[in-house]
Amino acid sequence: MNRSQHILGSGLVFAVGIWVAWVSYTQAPAEAFLFPRLIASVFVVLAGWTFGKAVLGLSKVGSGISRSMFISMVPGLVVMAVYVFWAAKALGFYTATAIAFFILLSLYDPAPHSEGKTWAKRALITAIFVAVMYGLFAKLLSVYTPREILF
Amino acid sequence: MDFIFYFGDVFSPLSFLLLLGGTIGGLILGATPGLSPTMAVALLIPFTFHLEAVQGLILLGAAYTSTVAGGAVSAILLKIPGAPANIATTLDGHKMAKQGQGAKALQLSFLASAVGGIFGVLLLIFLTPVLAQWALAFGPSHLFWLAILGVTVIGSLDSASVVKGLLSGCIGLWLATIGFDDIMGAQRFIFHPSLGGGINIIAALIGLFAIPQVLTMFAKGRRAQGAEVIEVQKHSVLDATKELLRRPRALGIGTITGSIIGLIPGVGGQIAGLVAYDQTKKFSSEKEKFGQGHSEGVIAAESANNAMVGPSLVPLLTLSIPGSPTAAVLLGGLLIHGIFPGSDLFDNHPDVAWTFINSMLVGQVLMCLFGLYVAGLAARVAQVPQSVMAAIVLALSVFGAYSVQSSMGDVYVMACLGIGMYFLERFGFSAAPLVLGLILGPIAESNFIQGGMIADATVGKASYFLSGGLNIFLIAVVVASIAYSAWMELRTRRHTTKEEAQA
Amino acid sequence: MKKLIASAAIALMGLAGTAIGEEYPERPILMMVSYGAGGATDFQARIVTMTAGNEDALGMPIAIINKPGAGGRVGWNWFATQADPDGYTLAAYNVPHFIAQSIKGGVSYSADSFEPIANWGADPAVFVVAADSPFNSMADVVAHAKENPGKLTFSGAGLFVGHHIAALQIEKAAGVKMAYIPTKGGGAAAMKAVIAGEVMGGVNNLSDAFRAQEAGNVKILGVADLQRSDFLPDVPTMQEQGLDVDNSSVNFRGVMVPKGTPQEVIDELAATVPEMFANPRVAKKMQAGGSPMHIMTRDEVKEMWAAREQTLKELLAGL
Repeated sequence: MNRSQHILGSGLVFAVGIWVAWVSYTQAPAEAFLFPRLIASVFVVLAGWTFGKAVLGLSKVGSGISRSMFISMVPGLVVMAVYVFWAAKALGFYTATAIAFFILLSLYDPAPHSEGKTWAKRALITAIFVAVMYGLFAKLLSVYTPREILF
Repeated sequence: MDFIFYFGDVFSPLSFLLLLGGTIGGLILGATPGLSPTMAVALLIPFTFHLEAVQGLILLGAAYTSTVAGGAVSAILLKIPGAPANIATTLDGHKMAKQGQGAKALQLSFLASAVGGIFGVLLLIFLTPVLAQWALAFGPSHLFWLAILGVTVIGSLDSASVVKGLLSGCIGLWLATIGFDDIMGAQRFIFHPSLGGGINIIAALIGLFAIPQVLTMFAKGRRAQGAEVIEVQKHSVLDATKELLRRPRALGIGTITGSIIGLIPGVGGQIAGLVAYDQTKKFSSEKEKFGQGHSEGVIAAESANNAMVGPSLVPLLTLSIPGSPTAAVLLGGLLIHGIFPGSDLFDNHPDVAWTFINSMLVGQVLMCLFGLYVAGLAARVAQVPQSVMAAIVLALSVFGAYSVQSSMGDVYVMACLGIGMYFLERFGFSAAPLVLGLILGPIAESNFIQGGMIADATVGKASYFLSGGLNIFLIAVVVASIAYSAWMELRTRRHTTKEEAQA
Repeated sequence: MKKLIASAAIALMGLAGTAIGEEYPERPILMMVSYGAGGATDFQARIVTMTAGNEDALGMPIAIINKPGAGGRVGWNWFATQADPDGYTLAAYNVPHFIAQSIKGGVSYSADSFEPIANWGADPAVFVVAADSPFNSMADVVAHAKENPGKLTFSGAGLFVGHHIAALQIEKAAGVKMAYIPTKGGGAAAMKAVIAGEVMGGVNNLSDAFRAQEAGNVKILGVADLQRSDFLPDVPTMQEQGLDVDNSSVNFRGVMVPKGTPQEVIDELAATVPEMFANPRVAKKMQAGGSPMHIMTRDEVKEMWAAREQTLKELLAGL
């Protein structure tokens, strides 16, 4: 299990290395790609070495990802991806942050989901946090973030 | 001794108020992810429009000093380095915070910052003419070797596996080449429009350090034991001072490395902390504790990055050449008031020059006092339940990455790098060498190309890069650094095999 | 619960969509500078926009964002391809830089991708040498270059920027070959190379060279412009020294918007922005910083762009 994960991980890195080398050696102008070529060569050698070790089962460092970790992580990862790659821009930073924050809290807060009080507490924490972010970024630093809904 | 004469100006009511405001504001700005000292100072420039030259510079000087130190707060508590200067601080600082020693780590970092910072400013006061020559001594060939020296640090930064450390460094070097090539203007590896501007270093830092952190918290799932740390150990400032004094080697190496490297235009500020951390580790008797939450790591990194503040202004103040992006912004603050750095500054506006320098000196002390006060409060951050913590760090990362240059592209790059880094970390790669590659790649490349062009027109590449005292010295240090790392690697390997045999 | 929030969010999005754009500007405006914070363009952009929030100007502040890299290509590429043409994203232009880069190719913009609003400054390129250099005039430089073809190194802030144009023109006018060394990190890095003696000379901004000369670090040998500068009345132009170099390399800085911005917004900006630049407070700060001002209206800038495009095409044709 661990060995196959290591093979997958280092295999991907090796593949990226080969792609980088291929791009560096085929693109023009050669002058601009001199440095990438140098890097890519070392990259491929090191990635190949790591991949070879993983195939032989000699990779010791790094513990991989267990099934339970992965299952706990997926909901958060999905919320994060939707938040970062879609909601932040489409709904506006503050609205998206409020929603994502609240969902993440509901997903990972160990307090029971059946009690109304814990829901209120989560909503309160979300409201305070978004207010602080708004004060800091919008008012104090006047960073103009995408705003679609509300503020 | 001119500077003593102008000390009074710092303590006039308005000036002191500005100094306080700059210091406190700087700490907040510095602690905000995504706001590097350069941006923080640039944000304050409009305020100086309405002030006298002296007062404007007091504000900027205080802010510069305290943003550099303030970066340690988010580096230690949230594992989000505010700027490249704080990378080394996260390595041990965040581990300490996780062990409940957040207060201690913050106190040490502010005390060390103050010691380093004061030393750096004193160098600026007393040795400016000598230092100016030193700053100019570094041409393209020397900067190239210096970057290579930085690369050799990679091997020892990653304690787990040298090959994977080097490979991480390679990935970082490659990531740095994405975007427009700086000299020729050719497009390289732009496979998504968000990468058109290359990978922004601050956004990358946030992603590489903070996002794996968030995912790790997600992976723990919904546990009853929510808090990251159950108990925050109280730590008195006196104990922190004693601890600092027990580590004179870390403090000394950090301060001296930081002030020397900080001088070098274009390179210094970014790598001073990492090089100091590496050197301290090499000379320490407790090498194996580094990366596990060792106080020497925090002391070395933070004393180095604040020691760099004073010397980094030497080329600006004496030669009118801004040696760092922050110095360039400060140059703007001077020019708006019609003051030209260089001999004009010290001859015709000594009140401005010395008040500015003094304000940085006093600013270091104020920064330390406020920092120590904040440390006690801020360390409670570690008591926040991990579900809340994960959400906070994620949202801060998004806002921080966006605010670097108001670009969604940077946010996407930040998230992608962060998610990728999480999986890489699970397979024994680490973020620090990758980031070092990302920082050093452009320095090595542009200086190699530029030096090569000069060499081709004059003496030829071989003699340009390989001759001359400074080149030879730097090459020798590079060789020594590699040899030392290899020797240590062999020694530890022999140790472990022996232990395994005994077991 | 989640569904409720999502549907509420969608409903609100519909509402927000209808309530856009009655009066321009209704919120702060961004201005992209394609060079780093602290560079000459950034510094000047911050000064000339400092009064934007006044009632007699735009009534809304302008915030500067920096997108530096590759001699400005990164920022202008972003501006041409990704900036919203809604009047809330402006950019600073540098002519001849972006025109030369678009002629050379490899970028996603040309002079047609942008609509000029107004020009605020004109910073000529000058030839500098270190204070202890044996060269005292352009004639000395040309003579040395003639004896040592391709060996006289001189720095500038990158390829296909104003400095490079000036360098090409000097080489062409003198009929010599020299070694132009583009530096990364803009004019400051190029100036450092001159002062530190890494190169024998350099092309740099008049404003920066003026400061360096005041500080006693460099000598300015010639100005690549049609007439002498008010800042440097003693320094002769290239033409006075017998080198046929016109003002093609003069760095014109101004404000532009992306193509596709509504015409009424462009008209509004074109009417107010030159007024804003003419504010005496702006002029005072620019003067203090050694930055030459040159205000031009939208129509004048359009003409200037067209003329530059013409001359640059001829100059760069051989490369």
